[in-house]
Amino acid sequence: MFGKKSVPLSFLIFLCLGMSELSAQTQGLEIGNIAPEIELTSPNGNTITLSSLKGRVVLIDFWATWCAPCVQEQSELAGLYKKFNKSGNPKGQIFEIYGVSLDSKKANWESGIANMKISWIQVSDLKFWRSPVAKTYQIQELPYNILLDAKGIIRAKNLHGADLVQGIANLLYQK
Amino acid sequence: MEFHTTLKKTYDSMKIKIFLFLLIAITVSAYAFNLFSSQNGAEPWTQQQLLDPSALAKTIGNPGIAQPIVYSVGPQAVIKGSIEIGPTVVPENLSKLQQKLEKLPRNSEIVIYCGCCPFDRCPNIRPAVELLKKLQFSNFKLLNLPHNIKVDWIDYGYPMSE
Repeated sequence: MFGKKSVPLSFLIFLCLGMSELSAQTQGLEIGNIAPEIELTSPNGNTITLSSLKGRVVLIDFWATWCAPCVQEQSELAGLYKKFNKSGNPKGQIFEIYGVSLDSKKANWESGIANMKISWIQVSDLKFWRSPVAKTYQIQELPYNILLDAKGIIRAKNLHGADLVQGIANLLYQK
Repeated sequence: MEFHTTLKKTYDSMKIKIFLFLLIAITVSAYAFNLFSSQNGAEPWTQQQLLDPSALAKTIGNPGIAQPIVYSVGPQAVIKGSIEIGPTVVPENLSKLQQKLEKLPRNSEIVIYCGCCPFDRCPNIRPAVELLKKLQFSNFKLLNLPHNIKVDWIDYGYPMSE
């Protein structure tokens, strides 16, 4: 009797779990969604996809050299990158920044990267506000960022300053 | 005699009324002027010099309307038919704009836009507007893009360059 009932019950539980797993795998822009794919090229012409960074905690940083507050924030990001990118993480989850530039001129973008000594991933289609990525991610203003966990799921949006440091630390060092 | 006193009283009270009226009028207009200048005094353009994007969108390509000369003074000439100057925060680009403007009649219909950032953070529009004023252009407008070219132009589906 008990056995017979428990089979459909466990099936139901399994189904529920499966469905919650499924909803987490929906692509979208809400917290808990899988971040939409980005496929753009680096200054040297290599295509780097966002999905290739799965397994790492990723900050997608939308910026441009023509955006003064974005440029200002790059030095803060450099500090974060140095702090979180490599060692000192017991779980071994590595932190990465995926910098998406809305620049329109390659020369400006490249000199910006060089001047600010940006060492993390940089990609762009050099299409300014016409970039399809700006549309996909419904970006309304710069700077803008999205924080992903190691599964590529959106965990926070548009964190800056101390909130950003805390947000990254939470993801890297959670249980 | 009594009549004269009454008249004098009326006259006196009228004087007081006129005085009070003038006092109030001066106070109100001084306040209004102060408000006006604190709102607009900080920017080199006037409210009348701001052009609504929907108005420009309707004008572009309309054979019945005289076409303004539209200059992009920001990172990219997104608007259809606009001329790319480059960010006028860069002195070379500002001189490039000056060279183009100097050849034009001062009553030419000119529209400038940037659209990188909200107006308060845009480094390009102010030098361009100051230049137009310095050269005494009488018929120029600044395209009113309070957010950026994406939110205020592209997202509306307004005409874009190739």
